[in-house]
Amino acid sequence: MSALEAPVPLAAPAETRDRDRWVLTGLLAAPALYIALMAVVPAFLMVQISLAHRDVGGLWSPGFELTQYRQLATPLFARVMGFSLLLAASGAAICVALAFPAAYFITRMRRRAQVAWLVFLLGSLSLSEVLIVFAFQVLLSTSGTLAGALTAVGLLEAGQSLYPNFAAVLTCLVYLLLPYVILFFYPALSQLDPEVEQAAATMGASRLATFAAVVVPMMRGQILTGVLLVIIFTFGSYLTPLVLGRPPQWTIAIHINNAAMAAGNVPLAAAYAVAVVAFMVALLALTRRLSRRREAAA
Amino acid sequence: MFGLELRDLTKTYGPQLAADHVSLAIPHGEFVCFLGPSGCGKTTVLRMIAGLETPSSGEILLNGRDITGQPANARQFGMVFQSLALFPHLSVGENVAFALKLRGWDARRRKARVEELLDLVRLPGLEKRAVSQLSGGQRQRVAIARALAQEPPVFLLDEPFSALDAKLREEMQSELRLLQQRLKITTILVTHDQREAMSMADSIVVMGEGRIQQHGSPVSIYKQPANRFVADFIGASNLLPVEVLDAHTVRYGATPLKVGATGLPAAGPATLAIRPEDILISPAAGGGCNEVSGIIKLVRDMGAYVEVRVDCEGRDILGVVQPRDWIGAAHGDLAHIRLPAERCRVLAG
Repeated sequence: MSALEAPVPLAAPAETRDRDRWVLTGLLAAPALYIALMAVVPAFLMVQISLAHRDVGGLWSPGFELTQYRQLATPLFARVMGFSLLLAASGAAICVALAFPAAYFITRMRRRAQVAWLVFLLGSLSLSEVLIVFAFQVLLSTSGTLAGALTAVGLLEAGQSLYPNFAAVLTCLVYLLLPYVILFFYPALSQLDPEVEQAAATMGASRLATFAAVVVPMMRGQILTGVLLVIIFTFGSYLTPLVLGRPPQWTIAIHINNAAMAAGNVPLAAAYAVAVVAFMVALLALTRRLSRRREAAA
Repeated sequence: MFGLELRDLTKTYGPQLAADHVSLAIPHGEFVCFLGPSGCGKTTVLRMIAGLETPSSGEILLNGRDITGQPANARQFGMVFQSLALFPHLSVGENVAFALKLRGWDARRRKARVEELLDLVRLPGLEKRAVSQLSGGQRQRVAIARALAQEPPVFLLDEPFSALDAKLREEMQSELRLLQQRLKITTILVTHDQREAMSMADSIVVMGEGRIQQHGSPVSIYKQPANRFVADFIGASNLLPVEVLDAHTVRYGATPLKVGATGLPAAGPATLAIRPEDILISPAAGGGCNEVSGIIKLVRDMGAYVEVRVDCEGRDILGVVQPRDWIGAAHGDLAHIRLPAERCRVLAG
């Protein structure tokens, strides 16, 4: 008798269910413990340090004060957070606008072409971020290929480079995140029932109209999650703005590092970090609430 | 001509032939069922008619005009899919109004048309309801209303009732038939359910191996199957291997049997097809011709009819008898089976 022909019991006996429950608990215990140790404990320590007293000689000493949180009310912090959000939102908009149609077209290809694209995208992820950022630096520098080409056609003055600036930071971040976002959209889009699009076609919709009026609205939840994913990644980006941007294009992550390493103010760095986490949690809560309200209205 | 015409429609997928020179003329306003087992090419032909598949060769004509090269969105034939393919992000009303919005109808006209269509499919007042809140039968009706919104020249349905339970399926079948008769719209329904096809269609196209095996009225297909495939697929049939003796005689085992007409060359092998309800069973030999005898293997009294299985020369012959005509024989009894000549059809192969 083959495995397919094997009779399937309608309900597992009680002892099997108990054993399954234990196995499941065991399997969940390891990641739960890992998350507790690696996320919850550091978060707790971070809050503790942010409330501690700054000790110039020994980094920080135990205490409970809100001195560092008062510094969050400065224009500098507001400007840095504002810029980080602008960079994250721009990155998210560009990434999703490019990745969603790209993933859609990949899912509509023949199986073999789809596999080739997925292998290519996964392969591109194996490149280190450091390598990519410095490659961008070379590409955009005065002697770089791109700047050279633009100079040759007269679009750029000789001796000018294409970095450091906002565009360079944004372009590199989009390049880094694009494969992730395409791979994020791929499973949901490949499960989209092709008959839904065909139904729209039989009702007179062109391919573009079908994409805009059916595919995009149906994938609204995934698109929103994709946007949040890029915002979270970009908000915390460090190396790209450091190498390809000027100080005005530095993200909060660089300022956290500077506060801790250059200024030696670990409690301030911790307060910055707590503020970023709180901001992200608020953003997620807001998004969830908005999408729930839309679902309720539907 | 007015209506839909298929000329030598062929579709190949690599070496596989999904539709093989399908030619068919469907007059305007007719309800046609494409009937066949899965993989027989019926859905492929339907999808070619809708413009969702490009034919490898052949032509599709609507009212005499060649539409073979037209994409689905230009043909705008209303279609109900097997999965229904309702838009989950839109309400019932928005689903029905989808085609109208694409045509640029203003909100007031759209609302009026949606109301009219929902009345037509007996779902009045459900415009605002989410698709996910509907029952199976209600979804079916929304899919039908949505496909009819654009007043399509041809209405196509791909196994639309396969996911419904038996009672609801029968209800929807008669509703669809009434609706079609009211709207007088050329309708093609694909199904593998012969009961569904027999009960709804003006004509049935039996498909097998990518080809049309027979096209005709439900009764003619049932009574006069064109070949062994149709006889076997439509209803229950006794298919007996025979040898053709002459134009009106065949031989089953050692017994010569008279038939209406063989239409086949003598001395060749053939199949004798006879419906179970056309067989007469008696306990004693009638003395006439066209009789074979055997041992009763199984008697099933179904209430409305009695089903009898008789072993005749190593082959089962199935008979269906009205309870009042049943002789009351049991398992192991000898039975004589008369095969009326006018009911026997001789098929090639």
